[in-house]
Amino acid sequence: MGLPDSSQDLTSEMEVDAFRRIFPLRFFERHLSESLRPDARPLDKARDTIVNLGLVSTADGSALAKIGSTTMLAAIRMEVMTPSTESPDEGCIAVEFHMPPICSPIVRPGRPAEAAPVISKRLSDTILSSGMIDLKELCLVSGKAAWMGYLDIYCLDADGALFDAALLSAVAAFSNLQIPVVALNDNGRIVAISDEKEQDNASIIEEEAVNKEKRKLTLKNIPFSLTCILHKNYILADPTTEEESIMDTLVTVVLDSSDQMVSFYKSGGEALAYSSSIKSCVELARKRAKELKEILGEMDVD
Amino acid sequence: MAAKPGAATPTYSPKLVGRSRLPIFKDSDLDWTRPDGRGFHQCRPALLQTGAVSSASGSAYAEFGNTKVIVSVFGPRESKKAMTYSDVGRLNCNVSYTTFASSTLGQGTDHKEYSSMLHQALEGVIIMETFPKTTVDVFALVLESGGSDLSVLISCASLALADAGIMMYDLITAVSVSCIGKSLMIDPVTEEEGCEDGSFMMTCMPSRYEITQLTITGEWTTPNINEAMQLCLDACSKLGEIMRDCLKQSTSASDE
Repeated sequence: MGLPDSSQDLTSEMEVDAFRRIFPLRFFERHLSESLRPDARPLDKARDTIVNLGLVSTADGSALAKIGSTTMLAAIRMEVMTPSTESPDEGCIAVEFHMPPICSPIVRPGRPAEAAPVISKRLSDTILSSGMIDLKELCLVSGKAAWMGYLDIYCLDADGALFDAALLSAVAAFSNLQIPVVALNDNGRIVAISDEKEQDNASIIEEEAVNKEKRKLTLKNIPFSLTCILHKNYILADPTTEEESIMDTLVTVVLDSSDQMVSFYKSGGEALAYSSSIKSCVELARKRAKELKEILGEMDVD
Repeated sequence: MAAKPGAATPTYSPKLVGRSRLPIFKDSDLDWTRPDGRGFHQCRPALLQTGAVSSASGSAYAEFGNTKVIVSVFGPRESKKAMTYSDVGRLNCNVSYTTFASSTLGQGTDHKEYSSMLHQALEGVIIMETFPKTTVDVFALVLESGGSDLSVLISCASLALADAGIMMYDLITAVSVSCIGKSLMIDPVTEEEGCEDGSFMMTCMPSRYEITQLTITGEWTTPNINEAMQLCLDACSKLGEIMRDCLKQSTSASDE
């Protein structure tokens, strides 16, 4: 470890870093031609994924999902509402995606990120159209009372593939959701019952309770998604922010647990999606769905 | 983000030494206890972690009981607004709450009051001359509100600033005390804050023994203020040690 050696190392490192900043596209293409990405991943590999359940004590269900350093915190609060006349025996779910200023240098307070409402809408569409949740399960008294679920997803750290991480955290939060105990009182109103109260006058409640014990929703057709970048004839799975900013053609495939396609989304961008590349994207998404299913499965055991 | 299992979380409860007068009340006089079973001069365990947000210049996560906050620091970077030339840097603070931060249903919004309080607490400690013409942004998000939010925010922000390498005269730490009847409660939780007669918050630089912000509201007697001041100063210096340890750990971990 002589002094001249180490200083030489430093200059070569500096040059790589400068090259990366000045010619980002060429820097990436040099990597891609070696079938490797700057963070040492193969092209088709997603980053390490972690899911934690039940971190927010004020919510009825919550989950934290981390894909690489992209971090999402999802929480669900349940509230009783009067169902609409068109669907008297169905509950409702409202999805909101937030990008607070802490998550990324491009978001400033007072000026919400452009991406947030887009992701919010796509999440809401995906969750409702996948048939994961049977809205009839959220009904309490037909035509009178049903559950309204408020799902709020906060991006705590934005480093690419925001939709994937947000959807994963949302699904995990639903798997953690415990529907609170409520009862119908004399005035025909729904009241919440806390745990202590329940023990005090258990006999009275047993007759009136609409939702007798804390229960979980049955989730079927759980949607899993994978975002890929199309660049020339390369396909990069699970991109980081840097990759997304340099190569701008994104394709998101959402599959459910039985490998049925739920949604397919290609934003604009330079590259066109040919059927061959679409097929490979779907194939990658299928592999990824299997991985995510295992990760969620491990959580359910606890 | 979660606490490492097995590792004991440090706390910073103060100890009153060399007190010149008798305590206002004895523990045996009390007919009630605190909601979480703590002693009156006992603080919640403080879990601190730097580097919570990868895309920020510096960041920290703090978990004091049920109060959970994340603070990100961006910059020094170009000032966004077209502002007049200034020799010294600018500090920009923003505090917001999640929609599920408290158990009462509400809209998560920007908290203007805390934003400006955080700014006031920090501006005295940052050496603004080191980043002329640019802005340092301190953004905070309260994930869960469990009482003493502002003091946790301030301590966490100073840790995030240190993580970002922004020059400061010292770390700053903040501790709050609630006065209910005759008793003083350090580090109050939401329920206690709801029924307090007076609140007291002190932000100080523990190594320099200087105060950057002191807020006293409500009903206070002079002996109570003195006692609260003593309690806060001691708790602040203990919290400062915990924060210093946290910073040392994060640098030694990154060296490896």
